[in-house]
Amino acid sequence: MRGNSILRIVGGRVYDPANGVDGVVRDLCICDGKIVADVEAGRTIDATGMVVFPGGVDVHTHVAGAALNFARAMIPEDHRRNLAFVRDRIRHGGIGGSTPTTYITGYLYAGQGYTTVNEAAVPILTARHTHEELRDTPIIDKSTCVLMANNEIVLDLLEAGEYERAKEVVGWSIWAAKAYGVKAVNPGGVTAWKWGKDVKGFREPVPGYSKVTPADIVSSLAKIVDELRLPHAVHLHCNNLGAPGNVATTLETMKALEGSRAHLAHLQYHAYGGDDWTNFRSESVRIAEEFNRNPNLTTDAGAVLFGNTVTITADGPWQHLLHKLTGRKWGNIDVENETGCGVVPYVYKEKNLVNAVQWAVGLELLLLIDDPWRIYLTTDHPNGAAFWRYPEIIRLLMDLDFRREQIRKLAPAALNRIFLPELNRCYTLYEIAIITSAGPARALGLANKGNLGVGADADVAVFNNDKDAAKMFSYPRYVIKGGEIVIEEGEIRNTVEGKGLLVRPHYDPSVEDFIRPLFEKHYTMSFDNYPVELERVEHAEVRPCN
Amino acid sequence: MGGKVTCTLGEVKNRADLVIYWGGNPAECHPRHFTKYALMPKGKFVPNGRKDRTMILVDIRETPSAKAADIFLQIKPTKDFEMITVLRAIIKEQPVDPAIVAEIGLSLEQLRDLADRMKKAKFGVMFFGMGLSMTRGKHMNSAALLTLAAELNAFTKFVAMPMRGHGNVTGGDVIMRWMTGYPFGVNLARGYPRFNPGEFSTIDMLIRGDCDAALILGADPGATMPQPAIDHLARVPTITLDPKVTHTSRISRVHITTAVTGISAPGTAYRMDEIPLPLRPALKSPYPTDEEVLRRIRQKIACKPLQLPPTVPMMTDAE
Repeated sequence: MRGNSILRIVGGRVYDPANGVDGVVRDLCICDGKIVADVEAGRTIDATGMVVFPGGVDVHTHVAGAALNFARAMIPEDHRRNLAFVRDRIRHGGIGGSTPTTYITGYLYAGQGYTTVNEAAVPILTARHTHEELRDTPIIDKSTCVLMANNEIVLDLLEAGEYERAKEVVGWSIWAAKAYGVKAVNPGGVTAWKWGKDVKGFREPVPGYSKVTPADIVSSLAKIVDELRLPHAVHLHCNNLGAPGNVATTLETMKALEGSRAHLAHLQYHAYGGDDWTNFRSESVRIAEEFNRNPNLTTDAGAVLFGNTVTITADGPWQHLLHKLTGRKWGNIDVENETGCGVVPYVYKEKNLVNAVQWAVGLELLLLIDDPWRIYLTTDHPNGAAFWRYPEIIRLLMDLDFRREQIRKLAPAALNRIFLPELNRCYTLYEIAIITSAGPARALGLANKGNLGVGADADVAVFNNDKDAAKMFSYPRYVIKGGEIVIEEGEIRNTVEGKGLLVRPHYDPSVEDFIRPLFEKHYTMSFDNYPVELERVEHAEVRPCN
Repeated sequence: MGGKVTCTLGEVKNRADLVIYWGGNPAECHPRHFTKYALMPKGKFVPNGRKDRTMILVDIRETPSAKAADIFLQIKPTKDFEMITVLRAIIKEQPVDPAIVAEIGLSLEQLRDLADRMKKAKFGVMFFGMGLSMTRGKHMNSAALLTLAAELNAFTKFVAMPMRGHGNVTGGDVIMRWMTGYPFGVNLARGYPRFNPGEFSTIDMLIRGDCDAALILGADPGATMPQPAIDHLARVPTITLDPKVTHTSRISRVHITTAVTGISAPGTAYRMDEIPLPLRPALKSPYPTDEEVLRRIRQKIACKPLQLPPTVPMMTDAE
């Protein structure tokens, strides 16, 4: 929502990578929810000695919808060991922890200077639910990605070689789900999971199909997304997540994506060597080298922090394996004809060799991938850690002494499986502004986000310039969303409502005549109830595809 | 253990070749369940519909649902937990105590046959009703059955789902989770959600007399709850919102007639598998919707002083 306040932020050191501004002391003027060149009247915020960032943008998170809400019910013990939020005149009460309740999600994101998030996994069938939750998630703007890589209508079309029609179905599905982008999770693997199986090889047919392979699904969806001119590339969770030796699959996937744009989600989970858990090791160097060579790709870290969390993914077969490995409770929902989801609570432990490698790999990728415009800060919330722990990662990236201190806590046996001790790079504030805001905004195709230039959305975070980056980024002095001050002196002062960002790609409406009979045959509800009505999305903003 | 291995009903329609109903009577309580989802429909991978599926009913008495079953297993009352535990043992090829088998009221052969069918199914599903979840053992029975379903995934594809009813009870549960983190039994008196079934669940609160007012929405506790709970509802100011006058209305201080959701009020209902369905009103109602009444009550309450100390902490320990 657009505010109508007039503000002038004076004396702050501005980091605005979208416009090449690297720590320049300058005033920032805001009017009618936008950054403007100058204002006459209004309130002045003295930001002398402070650091001014564009509002944070999270390219990959799980904050709403059937799967996350299933997880909430499964982990009351996690709710109890975390912070609760007390209601007052302007704030709702709720629970923090690994799966914050909806209102608290908005407060916590804004509370660390984030103003836009991308909910990365939405089935069409339950998109209505996701949008209902996002309506109850205040302050931040929200986009969603619809799950397509195990959609049986799409897979059947690819099997039959009907690429053009598959493209129409994808276009129709994006609009039906009121989504912003396309997500592919373990292409083919979740479909195989419907029979308790997983895909075997990247270039072997998906179980239940005779021709179509994960590679076909990946390259077709990437091409479809490009041809539909979506602002965000195909958002890909590669096959073989979490498995020892999955580096081979990830490298093959990068190859299959040549010639298309793609965003590789949570790359940390896809950069492992070894043949089994006993010789599990980091392959971040090979992954980063190949990634650096492929300018068509962007990625996010999917970094891991030690501690309790809950893992949630559409990757059903992986979650069954994780349940068997850990003996922890297991939730699973298979969604008819479209996708699945699994939920397993998890603890990352410093003394566990596999966890130590995972912790290192996330940081290694952030340090080894040389272009900060192509890798973004995420934890695949809540899988690697809750999003409200991002400042801890920022400190690990900026503070070499602190990082070394943490490495010393690992089991010595972990050290020869990782590269982190050899890496001396430290992030600058300018680079932090890229990986937390300007970069992900660009990857999402949101030119008015992650940007403090004139005309951009007035989403701004003002931080104390503290030596301890974790402290600095945990407690912004001011957060401005759409021109309204929402956080002031660490307090939530105003809970504005956020926008729902979506796209309406060009597709032939007659594709509905093809989908309808298939839907009536294979689904269990009325076809007319399937697409989400636009009115269901709060403050919807339909973004252009060009 | 914990968790739940489940699916949406379309997966059952398209794939299930073994359908088990446990402690429920869908023929009378969910009359469309057989025809729309679980037994009769022809599915993508069960093209012959009913012919491609085996239906097994486990219950303590022969209900009308038994007619639809291929195999009816009548067990002794309150022996569900024992039967599930024995099945878990057989599936893992562990020895079982014949004395316990005898208590269940089935032969070891019958149990072995059931375990064998479960392992050999391509896609098995267990639907469980209140005959399992609300009889002796209660949530322990549900947990045992969910564990059995999870463990069967070591051999084949297997899922479980509660047979929920009472209109949009699933919707209430879903929204409580995203608002408070918990599905039911939530206390908000301290300004943040606390969860403790048995302490904060409705019947317990009422019987102890812990609440001094009640707002009843889309339910008729006056007809279904234990008498001491009903007595307390009659004692305190109770407000009931309902399209018709219910037993609860008669013991309420205030009854507000509201439009029928789904017929003359829009909204969303969540199916038992948590699929959201939009509701489109076909008729106009002279009465306000539940939502409108609640919004107006809330507006009035918002004018009153906030019932919290003036300097509440923003955050606190959730315990």
